[in-house]
Amino acid sequence: MSGMDTAAIADFFDDELAPMVRRMADRPRTGEDSAESEAREIRKMVWQGLIGLDALDASDTAELAELLGSVLYQGPLLDTITARELLPDNDIGEAPVALAVTDEPWSVQDDRITARRAFVGFAAEVDHFLVGGVDGGGLRLALVSAGHPSITMRRYEDTGRGEAYGVEFAGTPVTTCAGSSAEWEGALAKARVRQAAYLVGLAQAALDHAVDHAKTRRQFGQPIGKFQALAFRLSELSMHIDATRLLVRDRDAAAHAAANLAAASDLARTVTTQTMQIHGAAGMLTDNDAQLYYRRAAVEAVRLGTPSQLRRESSQTR
Amino acid sequence: MMPTFTPEQEEFREEVCELLCEDAVRDEIAQARRAPFGQEPGLLDVHRRLGKLGRLATNWPERYGGAGRTIVDKAILTEEMIRHGVPENVHSLGIDIVGNAIHLFGTEEQKERFLPGLARGEITANVLFSEPDVGSDLASLTTRAEPDGENWRLYGRKIYNMKAQHSDFALCAARTSTGPVNFSGITLFLVPLKSIGMIIEPVWNLSEERFDLVTLDGIRVGAEDVLGEVGDGWQVLNDVLPLERTGLDHSAKAERTLTALREHAPPGCEERLAELETRVRAARLLAWRCITDLHEGRPDKVHSATAKWYTSETAKALSVAAVELLGPRALLDARDPEAIAEGLFDASLREAPGLTLAQGSSEIMLFFVAGAKLGLPS
Ligand SMILES: Cc1cc2nc3c(=O)[nH]c(=O)nc-3n(C[C@H](O)[C@H](O)[C@H](O)COP(=O)(O)OP(=O)(O)OC[C@H]3O[C@@H](n4cnc5c(N)ncnc54)[C@H](O)[C@@H]3O)c2cc1C
Repeated sequence: MSGMDTAAIADFFDDELAPMVRRMADRPRTGEDSAESEAREIRKMVWQGLIGLDALDASDTAELAELLGSVLYQGPLLDTITARELLPDNDIGEAPVALAVTDEPWSVQDDRITARRAFVGFAAEVDHFLVGGVDGGGLRLALVSAGHPSITMRRYEDTGRGEAYGVEFAGTPVTTCAGSSAEWEGALAKARVRQAAYLVGLAQAALDHAVDHAKTRRQFGQPIGKFQALAFRLSELSMHIDATRLLVRDRDAAAHAAANLAAASDLARTVTTQTMQIHGAAGMLTDNDAQLYYRRAAVEAVRLGTPSQLRRESSQTR
Repeated sequence: MMPTFTPEQEEFREEVCELLCEDAVRDEIAQARRAPFGQEPGLLDVHRRLGKLGRLATNWPERYGGAGRTIVDKAILTEEMIRHGVPENVHSLGIDIVGNAIHLFGTEEQKERFLPGLARGEITANVLFSEPDVGSDLASLTTRAEPDGENWRLYGRKIYNMKAQHSDFALCAARTSTGPVNFSGITLFLVPLKSIGMIIEPVWNLSEERFDLVTLDGIRVGAEDVLGEVGDGWQVLNDVLPLERTGLDHSAKAERTLTALREHAPPGCEERLAELETRVRAARLLAWRCITDLHEGRPDKVHSATAKWYTSETAKALSVAAVELLGPRALLDARDPEAIAEGLFDASLREAPGLTLAQGSSEIMLFFVAGAKLGLPS
């Protein structure tokens, strides 16, 4: 296999950078503008770092995604990898792309797109959108330039307090067509494998955080991790993570992408909910990462379909 | 079993619902839920309206601002307030916990001093038990009360309490003596919050309501501010805490989420909804069993631990399930113009982790039932 291995990226997310990465797309609720622009600078720096380390050409993108999940990376890297798979001529170089694909209708006239797409990540920071929609010809995809004045966007106020946008394309010119419905199916399966891996990484990091807390927080004269009710629960979660990681890393993961993503989604939500419980009230505090894992898991677990949609899809295609 | 409500109780429920459905009340509730972060309201007009009518602490005698009704009527009020989305913590802290503790254990002077204001929705109170190093193991609390002539001075730090910024006074647990057994030597005090020697700082968290860090820096309280007997606080705590735990607040919350979920769930979720609906019904039955226990004067700790565990776990499960069934749009905040159900799903997801921690965590309920019900050795 060609391409870059992820060891260098793991080194990049060292103990100093990782905490900044975790928080780089979390708008504080008592927000100050200066904090936001600082966060944007960090995101830019992280993007450049990842590009410099050839992350876009990683040989094992699932491994990369798991690593990104473990530091709660937020940014357009995974969308960009998917877009590049759909654009074999690579018209975009190393520019960031956001996916805005759903199987909802759009209208395309004279190579201009009119559509509204919800929950598009990092819309304000990408150079291109890969837009998808359905019309007489089925699902089609097109690349558009993000700077075009026909595009308007609004950032949501949501649980994630990150960078999710509603984006309106009002007659946006198509730069290039980007693949058929069948090609999208293939790319979506790979994107789902990566999303599942991301969630496994997130779950592992949340569990590590819970284990640390269980070792240090004392009640009734002992570390709470000594209570078997908690110790066994942590062990159980660790085993679930192990199992799901094997599913997601398996050779035929793409063939089971929808079902595996549903499993990873359940895993991430369960582990982060338990991480909150084990932390007690301390986990709810704004500066404790437990609540950040919990909120991120809620968002990331439904990004490429809800678990019930994914399971239905998987049972219908077998 | 669900109690059979008398016609008078049904009528009471209807009256309460009517008031809660008035436009002005609904506007006030909606506004409270959209308040800018960090500016959560305290007592609302709706509390004062209900208070003036003797309905807020409706089970207290008239001389204390109630209407001499039963605990069943009080529970009906609580259930309807939550079903209609009235933010409930300020009410449950002031009336259900602190007010009830005074009602049960206070001197006549204390009852006259505090209950009418609480019952009318004019003043409120909060609970200062937890400390940075003292959560589940409350008996190990370290806040101390030092004798000062006839009076006491309190020193310590209380955290994870809510509504201190809006409250007039607090029910505070402090140590008046140390001994070989942790739970002896704890005393409960009714302490003014708006006075010198009390420092209140916000502690921000993921939910809509802030925690407070309250530093007691030598605040002076008198003998008349001791609730119950000096050194006997643990007993009061043990009798008061179970009263908090009928689980009715959680079961009503779960119902509210379920109602909204039914309205917004896409086709294909029917089985899951049926499962959740059954669970919510069971939660309500467990909560009402506790109300009936109280009504009949035979509170049952196993019943209340069961209700607390089941109802809070159910309310949490509903919040998590909503995102699973509805997808990203369930995550929109009340302040987003495209929010569904007025942002209920996002708010309840952020509130959910606290439900299985506050007022006795799930693990503590499980621990208790293992010993007290199943007789397992501990
Ligand atoms: C929303 C909310 C509101 C609150 N309001 C108030 C308030 O008004 N006033 C106030 O004084 N406090 C309040 N608290 C604090 C609350 O009382 C504590 O959260 C509770 O006592 C648990 O303590 P802790 O959070 O420190 O968790 P810890 O005691 O540190 O426990 C951490 C975890 O370990 C588990 N655990 C502990 N002991 C055992 C054991 N023996 N076996 C198995 N598991 C165990 C716990 O269940 C929990 O999951 C509030 C908390 C919340 C979340």
